[in-house]
Amino acid sequence: MIWLTWRQFRGQAVIALGALAALTIFLVILGLRIRGTYDANVVDCATTCSLANARDALEASYLTPLLLTGFLVVLVPALLGAFWGAPLVAREIETGTHRLVWNQSITRTRWLAVKLALVTLAGVAVAGAFSLLLTWAASPYDKLLSGRFEPLFFPTRNIVPLGYAAFAVVAGIVIGLVLRRTIPAMAITLAVFAALQILVPTLIRPYLQAPVTQTVAFTADTRVSEFSSGGPNSTGISINGYDNTVPGSWMLSSRVPLMNAAGEQVTRDTVADCLKGDMRRDMACISQLDLHFTVKYQPADRYWTFQWLELGAYLLLGGVLAAFAFWRVRRSLS
Amino acid sequence: MTPVLRTEGLTKRYGRRPALTDATLTIPAGRIVGLVGPNGAGKSTLLNLIAGTLVPTAGTIEVLGSRPAANAEQLAKVGFVAQDTPVYAGLSVDDHLRMGARLNPGWDVTLARQRVAQVGLDPAQKAGRLSGGQRAQLALTLAAAKRPRLLLFDEPVASLDPLARRAFLQSLMEFVAELEVSVILSSHLLADLERVCDHLAVLADSRVQLIGDVEDLLAVHKRLVGARGELDALPPGIEIIQADHTARQSTLVVHDTTGLLAQLMPGADVERLDLEDMVLAYLTRAAYIAAGAPNRSYAEQPLEAQR
Repeated sequence: MIWLTWRQFRGQAVIALGALAALTIFLVILGLRIRGTYDANVVDCATTCSLANARDALEASYLTPLLLTGFLVVLVPALLGAFWGAPLVAREIETGTHRLVWNQSITRTRWLAVKLALVTLAGVAVAGAFSLLLTWAASPYDKLLSGRFEPLFFPTRNIVPLGYAAFAVVAGIVIGLVLRRTIPAMAITLAVFAALQILVPTLIRPYLQAPVTQTVAFTADTRVSEFSSGGPNSTGISINGYDNTVPGSWMLSSRVPLMNAAGEQVTRDTVADCLKGDMRRDMACISQLDLHFTVKYQPADRYWTFQWLELGAYLLLGGVLAAFAFWRVRRSLS
Repeated sequence: MTPVLRTEGLTKRYGRRPALTDATLTIPAGRIVGLVGPNGAGKSTLLNLIAGTLVPTAGTIEVLGSRPAANAEQLAKVGFVAQDTPVYAGLSVDDHLRMGARLNPGWDVTLARQRVAQVGLDPAQKAGRLSGGQRAQLALTLAAAKRPRLLLFDEPVASLDPLARRAFLQSLMEFVAELEVSVILSSHLLADLERVCDHLAVLADSRVQLIGDVEDLLAVHKRLVGARGELDALPPGIEIIQADHTARQSTLVVHDTTGLLAQLMPGADVERLDLEDMVLAYLTRAAYIAAGAPNRSYAEQPLEAQR
């Protein structure tokens, strides 16, 4: 059965290996260039450079390529689910060959077990290799910019993509088994995967553990990208874009009110005198006012817990689907 | 010897639609069984139930003494050539033989090679490029080389041209003689089966209408011809399958369980039936019942449409 699975799968495997080889070359070059920039701005300069400059340099050059490659890391499991998983059983049923192979001296359970295991493992290997390569390539960037917990980066690094791949391939197989038609199964696999990629980071991941709520002082180092008042009738000041307040964390709160020492929201009048147009001087001025604000976040040291939890959840989901597939394939399916 | 098939009340429904209803039958070993009936009569359903690709809704089924497709040993005992003889289009003939060798412990390499050479298949040819007849031969080779004790064929020749049809049935017969297997094959054309079968099952409207050894069946089915009115009352033990009346004459197809038909009906001519007429009589009756006839008595209800 292993031979047959490989014989049916090898064309797809060759395509995947080709794509993976091309990506490897790209990521190695990207990783080396990031290291070059990092070394030039952090390691090799004695006194002239600052971490802030290094951050700016890395972000300016590599944010876009890393974001795009990151999307690709999430896209790969989706494609594996649609192109490897969905046709695996659906195509057999569509062409009637399931009735050929099910009448060899091998039970349907074993037939499905071998196919599902081999193709899922291959998918995990491809997604894993890609993810680990990107993790390596981006590591100097991640170290300096500490954004790896952010929703745009979290699913693209380390071990969660392995869970995505395992889930996507198994989901594709099961959807194909239920729908019995390849093209609709591919479409639905993609839709289910995309839906989870939107639902999990917005509704589930933020609450895997209770977020930490913390009140922080507004200091001269506080970086804020936006001051706003609630509207024409409101004079209360809110701030946004303070993500670096707790380095390496995943900030869950967005716009929060700025409070004074008495615990009241400050008004436009309070800060108006400080806002002169020079960012750094304005911040220093405001920081003299003894203000604070309350943020909600997932701390940086939970990063690996969250990676394992999300990997585990996707693997569990995949496992449940696989169990359903084994139950289903034993039933009538002429 | 264990019968190849024993079913009791075997029923398969798709939702509410019955595909096979209350089939109770026993088929002894060593027969070549023809399963005949119109399209949609339940032939495929029965074969798939025997192969284990379908699970019955109700009733029991035993194939060679065990539940169909219960385990690898049971699967090894039954070879199934499904409808349209599916093969992997992307795999070569040789790949198919390799698959057979790897998936069947009892694989007969010599037989498989011989067969492929004999019917002139190119081992390097992709199965997707084979003609219908060649594909059927490949499927037959795969099913036979696993050396099953029971071979099932679902409409094996339906999509073949007359020449390929004859060649296929010819090689089927050679196989059967050589391998000593029991065979069940289905067709909606009696002509395909007539030459090869020694046992017959007629299916229509999801029910088994008739089953038995061909010679036994022909011995107990007769055509009765008599003057109109003379055949209205028949003695017990003689069942009318089909009745056909003209103004002056009645023609009946009857099932005679007494064996004394000629003595019991001295006024009528008792004629021998051929297989086709007998099967047609049963199919006509089934169609008549399916169309909503009030009961199973035909003596008083002349059939109009006769072929």
